[in-house]
Amino acid sequence: MSPLTRPAAVVASRGDDLLPRLVEPVADLVLATDLPGLAEDRRRRAATFIASRCTGLPSVMKIGVALVAALFRLLIAVPGGRLVVGFLAAHPLPLVGEYPRLIRSLGYAFIWETWPETHPDGSAE
Amino acid sequence: MSVERLDAEVLIVGSGAGGATTATVLAEAGFDVLVVEEGPWVEQGSVVPFSLEQMDRQYRGGGVTAAIGLPTVAYTEGRCAGGGTEVNSGLYRRAPGEIVDRWIQQYRIEDLDPDELESISSEVERELSVQPVPGGRWGEPSDRLRRGAAALGWKHDESPRWMSYPAGGTAVDGRRQSMTRTYLPRAMAAGARLITDCRIGRFEVHNGRADSATFERTVDGRPVSGVIRFRHLFVCGGAIQTPALLQRSKVRGRIGKTLAVHPTVKLAARFPDELNIPDDVPVHQVKEFAPGLSFGGSASHPGLVALSLLDNWKDHSTAVDSWRRISVYYAAISSEGRGRVQAIPGLRDPLVTYHLTARDKALLGSGLTRLAYLMLNAGAEEVFPSFRGAPIVRSGADLVGMQSRFSASKASVMTVHLCSTVPLGENTERCGADSFGRVHGLSNVFVNDASLLPDAPGVNPQGTVMALAIRNARRFVNTENPRG
Repeated sequence: MSPLTRPAAVVASRGDDLLPRLVEPVADLVLATDLPGLAEDRRRRAATFIASRCTGLPSVMKIGVALVAALFRLLIAVPGGRLVVGFLAAHPLPLVGEYPRLIRSLGYAFIWETWPETHPDGSAE
Repeated sequence: MSVERLDAEVLIVGSGAGGATTATVLAEAGFDVLVVEEGPWVEQGSVVPFSLEQMDRQYRGGGVTAAIGLPTVAYTEGRCAGGGTEVNSGLYRRAPGEIVDRWIQQYRIEDLDPDELESISSEVERELSVQPVPGGRWGEPSDRLRRGAAALGWKHDESPRWMSYPAGGTAVDGRRQSMTRTYLPRAMAAGARLITDCRIGRFEVHNGRADSATFERTVDGRPVSGVIRFRHLFVCGGAIQTPALLQRSKVRGRIGKTLAVHPTVKLAARFPDELNIPDDVPVHQVKEFAPGLSFGGSASHPGLVALSLLDNWKDHSTAVDSWRRISVYYAAISSEGRGRVQAIPGLRDPLVTYHLTARDKALLGSGLTRLAYLMLNAGAEEVFPSFRGAPIVRSGADLVGMQSRFSASKASVMTVHLCSTVPLGENTERCGADSFGRVHGLSNVFVNDASLLPDAPGVNPQGTVMALAIRNARRFVNTENPRG
């Protein structure tokens, strides 16, 4: 089997197209929950930044993130799933908990580097 | 996709502390040198140090890379012309003599003369303008660390940096004398060629000799692949990428099995007055418990302050409003643990793992507690340790509770010093390369970067890397003749 057709390689390369669409809505939800005062346009920009950074992750991390991101994306699409995502995001579970942590790490770093005077609830005033 | 064919007498993969110095020695000796760098050339000063933009342009994976383990250890790798020297703090230390002596014994490194390393280190220091901040005009975050250590009577010093300073300048006016400003221009003046944004896929070995390498790069927006033919190959991609390339090229042996790092844990300290310097790091380090444990300061722009509070956002987040009064500090340990780098067929990047021992985890906990104590003695009003469930430390009485709550699995552990994935020496049970970096079992493939260090040296390692790389390159020049 050619290296380019190995399943892992396929997941890693297709992730470039798919991953932002999996990550962005979940990132938006996590930030909206954590930082209720963050203006919507800022939240969108942060979510877009998070999604783009996930696309640039090294292969192994990207595959892991893609799998967990798909689970989270599925959850927020089903009735009641947002509550489950909220629970998972609030509780640092092994492995699965690394995903909301990655979202927060990227998002908070972006928000406070871009708008340093942001308050803890995300508001700017 | 077009196919390009290139030739070089010596191909050097990577342009960081190892690759740039190797290129200079070989090119100045008359060898036809081609340096291939996976990342771009980014002019010093064109991006804000330690910013997200810098991470995007000059770090691998945008700075989001991690060694899997319990806990996972986040790390960063430079991915640009000049490698890690372009993006790190520029703090410089010589290889500690007692560590070099131990390496010589345990790894059977032949003809490694500590006096020769000292002499080469002096050359490096002149080339890079290694010096302390003129007139002691350190930034305030550094001075707080110094004053805290002095108050406790703990051993501390200022680490010199590879910086040049304008007359009357302070720490923040320093201009980093990294590889793109020193050794790389020197190598190119001697005839070395440099191709950036070019990734080596693998190299071919026939009868114990490597003779060609495949690459891919982008030219005018078009993907180009090709082959480079060479007589000699130096792999200088750093402690993660070097073993990964060797493994992709089917090289066996002690490759990628002994990753060593300096794990660190952090805290944010809030002082009564404003002191934050967003785009620089403190130059002082506290060595009272070295080499097992040392303390220093980290980059502290507001995004990184928020990140340091993230583990306890609910209870610690109000501090972010006063980020100008906050600076971030670290406790780094000499780890007994080891990690692995493993290339995976079909994947671009290797799997990296790291295992902290029970002793490492305990030392991280006691180290972070001592660092909090140091910060209180430096005048901090409040200390915010970066682990889940950490209390806010306001007095010595809070330290006992802090240490009892610490668990490495709840901490944000990270490192910037990666070494030892192809250790050098004649002990083939422990070493991937011989005493001068030649890969065991191959006649013309050399490793010449941090991968060669037998273990993490307990100090900023790039001074050791440069000295060792120059020593090995000189040995090569003395034993091989340029074709021309």
